[in-house]
Amino acid sequence: MSLEQPRPRDVGVTPAGELDYDALFELLSEYVLDRETHVHAEAFVIRPDDVEAVLATLKREAGFDHLSCVTAQEYQDRYESIYHLKKYDEPTHELSVVVPTARDEPVSQSAASVFDTANWHEREAYDLVGIEYEGHPDLRRILLPETWQGHPLSLDYNQDQPQIVPLREHADPMERRTDVPDEQDTMFINIGPHHPATHGVLHLKTVLDGEQVVDVDPDMGYLHRCEEQMCQQSNYRYQIMPYPDRWDYISAGILNEWAYARTAEALADLEVPEYAQIIRTMSAELCRIASHLLAVGTFALDIYGDFTAIFMYAITDREKVENLLEDLTGQRLMFNYLRLGGVAWDLPEPREQYFEKVREFCAYVPERLEEYHNLLSANELFQMRVIDTGVLPPEIAKSYGCTGPVARGSGVDYDLRRDDPYGYYDELEFDVITDDGCDNFSRALVRLEEIRQSARIIEQCIDLLEEWPEDEREIQSNVPRTLKPAADTEVYRAVEGAKGELGIYIRADGTEKPARFKIRSPAFCNLQSLEVMSEGEYVPDMIAALGSLDIVLGEVDR
Amino acid sequence: MSQLLPEAISEAIGVEGIAVELFAAVVGAAVIGTILLTNAALAGPWAKRKITAAFTDRISVNKFGPLGIGIIVPDAVRLLSKELIVPEGVDRPAWDLAPLVIAASALLGFAVIPMGELGPINFHLADPEVGLAFVFAIASIASIGLVMAGYSSNNKYSFLGGLRAVAQNLAYEIPLIIVGISVVIFAGSLQMSEIVAAQSQTLVSLGPVGIPAWFAILNPFAFFLFLVANMAEIGRNPFDIPEAPTEIVAGFQTEYSSVYFVLIYLGEFVHIFLGGAIIATIFLGGPAGPVLPGLVWFLIKIWAVFLLTQWLRSALPRVRIDQLLDIGWKGLLVLAFLNLFLTAGIVGVIETL
Repeated sequence: MSLEQPRPRDVGVTPAGELDYDALFELLSEYVLDRETHVHAEAFVIRPDDVEAVLATLKREAGFDHLSCVTAQEYQDRYESIYHLKKYDEPTHELSVVVPTARDEPVSQSAASVFDTANWHEREAYDLVGIEYEGHPDLRRILLPETWQGHPLSLDYNQDQPQIVPLREHADPMERRTDVPDEQDTMFINIGPHHPATHGVLHLKTVLDGEQVVDVDPDMGYLHRCEEQMCQQSNYRYQIMPYPDRWDYISAGILNEWAYARTAEALADLEVPEYAQIIRTMSAELCRIASHLLAVGTFALDIYGDFTAIFMYAITDREKVENLLEDLTGQRLMFNYLRLGGVAWDLPEPREQYFEKVREFCAYVPERLEEYHNLLSANELFQMRVIDTGVLPPEIAKSYGCTGPVARGSGVDYDLRRDDPYGYYDELEFDVITDDGCDNFSRALVRLEEIRQSARIIEQCIDLLEEWPEDEREIQSNVPRTLKPAADTEVYRAVEGAKGELGIYIRADGTEKPARFKIRSPAFCNLQSLEVMSEGEYVPDMIAALGSLDIVLGEVDR
Repeated sequence: MSQLLPEAISEAIGVEGIAVELFAAVVGAAVIGTILLTNAALAGPWAKRKITAAFTDRISVNKFGPLGIGIIVPDAVRLLSKELIVPEGVDRPAWDLAPLVIAASALLGFAVIPMGELGPINFHLADPEVGLAFVFAIASIASIGLVMAGYSSNNKYSFLGGLRAVAQNLAYEIPLIIVGISVVIFAGSLQMSEIVAAQSQTLVSLGPVGIPAWFAILNPFAFFLFLVANMAEIGRNPFDIPEAPTEIVAGFQTEYSSVYFVLIYLGEFVHIFLGGAIIATIFLGGPAGPVLPGLVWFLIKIWAVFLLTQWLRSALPRVRIDQLLDIGWKGLLVLAFLNLFLTAGIVGVIETL
C-alpha cells in the first residue's frame, strides 16, 4: 500500500477531511432530482436509468468504493432501491443513493457493472421485493426457490397463495442433472446441500474439469427464515432484540444484537450509559473470540479432513468463552442480553470472582494461540495446502464488498471498531490486524491474531469495570416503554460483527414497528467472492476457500 | 525352522490324504482370520476412538465394559442391522463384489506372513519362495476393489474417489515395491521366513543388550521411505485422498451401507494391519523379540504401526491430489531408486570383499 502514489483528495471532501454533501451534489448535479436527509447520511434521489453513471462517478471521483448494502422497498406509490455507499478508507463518509421506480413498472438500472457485490444484492431485491434490474447479468431468485410465486416483501403479496409447484409444471431436476453436452469434457457436481464441508445447508453447483473447478454457483436460501419480515412485525422496544442472535447463531450473538441496538438507538436518538457500553464491548469481544475459534477450528477441519486435534482444542477453548458468557447473560448462544439504551443486567455477583475468571481466560489466550500457531501456521503440510490458494486480491475484495477478516486477510485495512467507533472502542487500545497474503492462510492468521487483540480489549474493559464507582453503575438509560420514531426517518448503521460489517437499515413509519428492516449480512457479501477465489483451483482448495470465508448460513440466508 | 500351521494341524489329525490337507489348510486360515478379525474389531469401533480421543483431549467411549471396550458389541449390532440401500443405477455384480474384493485382498496377504509362535503353534500359513512378491501383488488388488466401488456406484463422488485411488496407488506402489526390493537384496531371498531369519543376527552387542540386525536399523532411510509409501498405499492421512471426507464426502464408499460398509471398513483396518505386518516382517525382524512369545511381539509391532497411522491422522492435514502425485513421482520414486542403487552397490561391495 505504501508504494502507491498518494491519491488526490476525493471530490466532496473538505480539507479537514469532512464529507461535503454540497460538493457531491455539484458533482452529480445533472443527475440528482432531490436531496433527502437520513439519520446517518444524506441521500440523493436519482432517475432509475442513471444508476450506473451516478455510482461510477461516485466511485471514480469521490472515492466511494464500498457499496455496503442495497435496500429495496415498496411504498404505496413507488418502489425504491437504496444504495448505501461508504469508503473503505473512511467509513464515516456515507452517502445513500435513492432510486425510485414506478409501481406499475418497477425497472431500474443495475449497478452490477460498477460494483460486483450489487449482483447478489439486486438478486435479493428482485427476489423479495420484486424490482427488476435492467442490465443485470443474472437476475434470478436467490433466497427463495425458483418456483416461488410472488415477492414476499411487496405490499400486495398474498400470504395464503399455495406455494407448492409440482415438478411436472416446473422442471424435473433429475432430468436436468445429466444435461451436460457430450462433447464437453467437464463434470457437473452438486456439492451440498448436505455435504460435510459446507458448514450448513449451502449448495454449490460446481462444474469440474478433472479435479479443477471451472465454475461454481452457490445456491442458498435453505435456511431462509424471513428474519427481515419477522422484525418488521415486531416492536422496536422488546420484540426485535432476540432475533439478531439467530442470524450468526454459532457464537456471535451479542455482536449481532449490537448491530440492532446501534441502529435503533441512532433512529430513536437514545443515549447509552458508559458503564453499559463497556459491558457491551467486553461481551461482544468474548463473542468474537468464540466465533473466531470456531472459524479456525472448522477451517482446520476442512483442510485436515477429520476431527483432529486443532478442531477439538478450538472447541474446548470456545466452551470456556461460552461459560463466561453464560455467567454474564444466562445463555450460551441465544443471549438476548443487550437492550435499547443499555444491557439487560449488571455483571454477575460476586463481581470479583467473575473478574478473576475473565482475567484468567485472557491470560490463557496467548499461550493457547502459541499452540494453535504450532499446530497450524507452523505446519508445513498445512502451509503447502493453504498458501497461495483461494487468492482474493484487495481490489476484487473491495468490489465484492468483502469486510471483516476476509477483507483484512487481503490487506484491506478496514475495521469499523476503529474507523467508525461505537461503544467504548475509541477509548481502548487495540490493533487492527491485516495481512497482505490475500490467500486462505492469511485469513486464518488474521483470525488467530484477532483473538489476541480481543483478549486485550477484554482485559482493558475489566480494568475499567473493576474501578467503576459503585453508585455510577448505570446499565440502562431511560427509554420510553413504547418507541415510535417519526414517520419516514431512515437510518443505516453497521457494526463490526464476527464475519465483517453487519449493517441494518430501518425505515420508520410512525408506528412502534419498522416499516422496512433490512439486514446487511457480512457472510452474504463475503460468500459472493467464492467464485473468484475458486475458479481454476482444485476442489480441495475451493473447500478450503469456503472454510476460510467462515460463513454461517443462518446469516447468509437470514 | 518350525512347522507351518496347516502342516501342524494335519499332523495332529494323524491321517494323510489330500482331503485332510485341504481341511487343515481351511482350519489354519480360519485361525489366522479370526486373529485378524479380532484385532480389526478391536481397532475399528474401540481403539481408533480411544486413540483419537487421547490425541484430542477427550474421553471417548467409557461407559460399557472396562475402558468402554464393550462398545464393540453394540457397534457391531448397529452396523449389521442397518438397512442395505442399493442405489438406483448401480452396476450390480461389480457393486456387490467390490466390498468383498477390498476385504478379501487385505486378508489374503496374511497367508504368507510369519506371525510368530505361541507355545508350540507357529502362526504361519504358507511360505512360498515368492512370499514378498505375493504380498505386494495381493495388497494391490485392493485398488481394483476401490475402482470397482467407485465406478459402479453411479455417484460422482464415488467416481472421483475411485479415480483418485488409482492415481494414488500407481504413484505409491512403485516406490513401495522398489524399497521392498532393496530389502530383498539384503536378505537374498523373497521368502518371508528367509527375510525374517536374515534379521535375526545380532548387529552389535552393547553389554547384555544385543542390537538385532533389523533392516530398519541397517537402513533407516529405506524404512522411512517405506513408511511414507505405506501410508499412501493404505490410504490414511495425510494421504487419505480417495476418501477425503469434506471434499468428496466419503469417496468410493459413499453409496455403501450396512454389511457392505462393514466389509469395506473392515477391509481398511485389515489393510492397515497388513501394511503393519509387511513393515514388521521386512524391517522390524518379524516376530522377533525378547521374553514375550513371537505372536505377541508381532501384534505389538503391527499395533505400533496402527498407532502411527492414527497419530498422523490427528496431527497432519491431508495433501492435495496434485501435491500427492508430485510427492510420489518426483520425490519418493527418485529416492526409492537412489536407495535401491546404493543398497545394491554396498551389498555388492561387501560380498566381493
